[in-house]
Amino acid sequence: MKTGFYPRLAFDGIRKNARLYIPYMLTCAGMAALYYIIVYLQYNAAVAALPGSNVVLGTVALGEKVIAVFSGIFLFYTNSFLIRRRKKEFGLYNILGMGKGHISIILLWETLIAALFSLSIGLCAGIAFSKLAELGMVNLLMGTVNYRLSLPPQAILKTLAVFSVIFGLLLLNALCQIRFLGALSLLHSETVGEKPPKGNLLLGLLGLVLLAAAYYTAVTLEDPVAALVYFFGAVILVILGTYLTMISGSVVFCRFLQRRKRFYYQPAHFVPVSSMVYRMKRNGAGLASICILSTMVMVMISSTASLYFGMNDAMKRRYPREMNITCILQDPEDLSDENIRSLQSRISAAAQSCGIEPKEAYAVRSVYFSGHLNRDLVETDISMQSFFANADSQMYQLYFVPLADYNASMGTDHTLADNEAYLSLGSSQRFDYPYDTLSIQHGNTFQVRGILQDFMEDGGARAVIVPGLNIIVPDLEQAVSGLEDLAYFGGNRLITPRWICSFDTGADPEIQAALAGKLGELFGDPALREQYGLTSFSCENREANRADFLTMYGGFFYLGIMLSLVFVAAAVLIMYYKQISEGYEDQLRFGIMQKVGMTDREIRRSVNSQILTVFFLPLLFSACHLAFAFPILSRLLLLFNIDNTRLFLAVTAVCFCVFAAFYTFTYRVTSNAYYHIVRGGTD
Amino acid sequence: MQILEVNSLKKVYAGRFGGSRVEALKNVSFRVERGEYVAIMGESGSGKTTLLNILAALDKPTGGSVILDGLALSKISDTAAAAFRRDHLGFVFQEFNLLDTFTLEDNIYLPLVLAGKSWRDMREKLMPIAARLGITDILKKYPYEVSGGQKQRAAVARAMITQPRLILADEPTGSLDSRSTDELLRLFAEVNRLGQTILMVTHSVKAASSAGRVLFIRDGEVFHQLYRGGDSDAQFYQKISDTLTLLATGGRTEREAAQ
Repeated sequence: MKTGFYPRLAFDGIRKNARLYIPYMLTCAGMAALYYIIVYLQYNAAVAALPGSNVVLGTVALGEKVIAVFSGIFLFYTNSFLIRRRKKEFGLYNILGMGKGHISIILLWETLIAALFSLSIGLCAGIAFSKLAELGMVNLLMGTVNYRLSLPPQAILKTLAVFSVIFGLLLLNALCQIRFLGALSLLHSETVGEKPPKGNLLLGLLGLVLLAAAYYTAVTLEDPVAALVYFFGAVILVILGTYLTMISGSVVFCRFLQRRKRFYYQPAHFVPVSSMVYRMKRNGAGLASICILSTMVMVMISSTASLYFGMNDAMKRRYPREMNITCILQDPEDLSDENIRSLQSRISAAAQSCGIEPKEAYAVRSVYFSGHLNRDLVETDISMQSFFANADSQMYQLYFVPLADYNASMGTDHTLADNEAYLSLGSSQRFDYPYDTLSIQHGNTFQVRGILQDFMEDGGARAVIVPGLNIIVPDLEQAVSGLEDLAYFGGNRLITPRWICSFDTGADPEIQAALAGKLGELFGDPALREQYGLTSFSCENREANRADFLTMYGGFFYLGIMLSLVFVAAAVLIMYYKQISEGYEDQLRFGIMQKVGMTDREIRRSVNSQILTVFFLPLLFSACHLAFAFPILSRLLLLFNIDNTRLFLAVTAVCFCVFAAFYTFTYRVTSNAYYHIVRGGTD
Repeated sequence: MQILEVNSLKKVYAGRFGGSRVEALKNVSFRVERGEYVAIMGESGSGKTTLLNILAALDKPTGGSVILDGLALSKISDTAAAAFRRDHLGFVFQEFNLLDTFTLEDNIYLPLVLAGKSWRDMREKLMPIAARLGITDILKKYPYEVSGGQKQRAAVARAMITQPRLILADEPTGSLDSRSTDELLRLFAEVNRLGQTILMVTHSVKAASSAGRVLFIRDGEVFHQLYRGGDSDAQFYQKISDTLTLLATGGRTEREAAQ
């Protein structure tokens, strides 16, 4: 045969199936562009110059792998759809005398053309938007911007390599599919009679049970650490539950409707309900995928955005004041008034020498230890086993705080008699303690006077994964008595005396850093440490830690946006192909209904209601998922020091609204394509 | 009494970009009386299906008029046409045109459901028809589970359940084996005897020979017609067959000879 014959045939094939091919190639292009951008960022000087760039680069590298793998899976899905629709054409070629070898050559050319087209567009778009992406990232992470355009060859080569592999695999898959089919089955592959789906009640119910279990877990888990552990379990339950419910449950539900004669035999329900059964059987998996993708997008964006926008809050919680000094001392006696006063005056002197007048200062002494809170008893005998596995008691970091320090820092005048105590979990957290007394194993028993809601932020306690419980006592030394000589299973002493002192400076970050350095140097002196009984001294400067927060939270946010783009593209394409394939299936049905006497408007309305249901079911489901994920997510955010539920709620609501608007827009566009196809069959 | 009147019907298909024009119907005129059983015969491409589509108000003629039960079909709107099809016409197609997502029962109910009838009414109407067509036992089955003959009987039931003024059949025996064909034709003759008007398009001599009158269409025109009179099926079959031979060999009818 003449040269140029195959390319022309392949090109014609693409042109005639433009409605299928163009979205496919655009998706390929989009994926390639995103991949290029994310690789580009790794080779970018401005990003490398960001503070904490290694954290950012690590996050970006993770994103690169996710995008590569996901592109592969996803393009496979869309490509198999293309092949299925084109089997008829290939069957015809086969009958007209073309061998499978010839068809393979056509497929090869088609793949080449598609690859060339989508990669060139993808790379152009990637290069065009890479600078924007870089500026976005640098801005988000508050680095310095430059306006030079760079074209790292590694990024281009890497993109080409990854997508060549993907296209190669796609071609291989298509060839396999053609190879194992006979000519006639190729020709008729679209019109095989289909059994009416019998929904599996058991599977449908199982789906609902899984969802219920996941929702229950998400809503009831109070403890952030447990939330972290169970979150992924809940995610898997939700994914399984969604798939089962959508595939089986929906069919069972339609069957149930069909059995209710009075409902079923109405013009508005008759056709929609009976076709829905088939639609759900065919599309259940696709719908579930759309639902999961949508949920992932919304969860990802809302939580990472909350992290990013709540960063200042998080920093204030972790570092309540600009300067946060923590002294760990040897013995409870080292917390004596004169010792502490002397420490404080040294710190004040150092601050004044830097021109800083401490503001909003507070200082709190405490003695802390770990224990299992079991009903009204704190167990201090902690073995290796009980440390790791203890179902009915909760591990706490317990802080004895003298009432005087509490009153001084909070500006209150509470009073306590001997052997009385107040309990407090720390700032504005509810704590339900139903018992009258609190006993410490080997130690004292306190009458609980009440629960104090407010307490100074304790940044150090925030950094510990175990929740902290403050026991406010009239006299520290007396409270500790009996515990002094106890030790953990590792041999370390049980109790630790600690003094924290925090204050604002109102000075520039450089001066703050200078003060922090000066204090570190001062208390690094062994003689001085000996004098005060200091075992460790740390001065945490909020401004100095800002960059770390920024790179971590900003990096997450950025990655969240990038991955969301990928997932949204995937969801849109699945929707589009779903509409198209249904359009072709409905073409015939549409004609029959018209002949039987349905008006154009009636058909349109019936079809509309089905499409609408099928379309917005995933959105409804993902809204539901999101609503139930909200409590567990807000608890997870606590681990990242984000405790602003209102901010998270607002961000989530905005995310959902934007997504829903986008979803509706997609619906409009794709349903136009659908009507176009259905109409084409009747003209 | 006249039920259908077709006057100098004309249908021209223009090529998509104004290219070649195809004249599917040139000048077709005929009448159908109430209670008649008329077959329209012709080769492939003679315009049979076009004619049927126009009669069903699925297509608009280029010229001429169709008056069904006193109503000029070419003048009414699409929506009214759909309602008219639903209430006054029954369809039987070669490809059965049953929806594969419905059971046979639901397929038969379709026109009634669209007309807003209650399930009880529909069931009352269906039972005698189903009994007469011998499909009572398979009503709960899906189209893919039954034979071609059974599908066609279900389609006939769907056509009859609205008690239409006219049943339009498009090659109803085209996809059936000979046994099912005999059965269907016997059925048509029987409903016709009970007063049902039937207009059937076919190119099967056998099918046509069960009708009371046969119209022959060639190149978009009614070329000839035959009345059964007192003939038996076999005699009528012979006459139709002779006429077709004449048509195929390019013979002229008496009318043309007289001119």
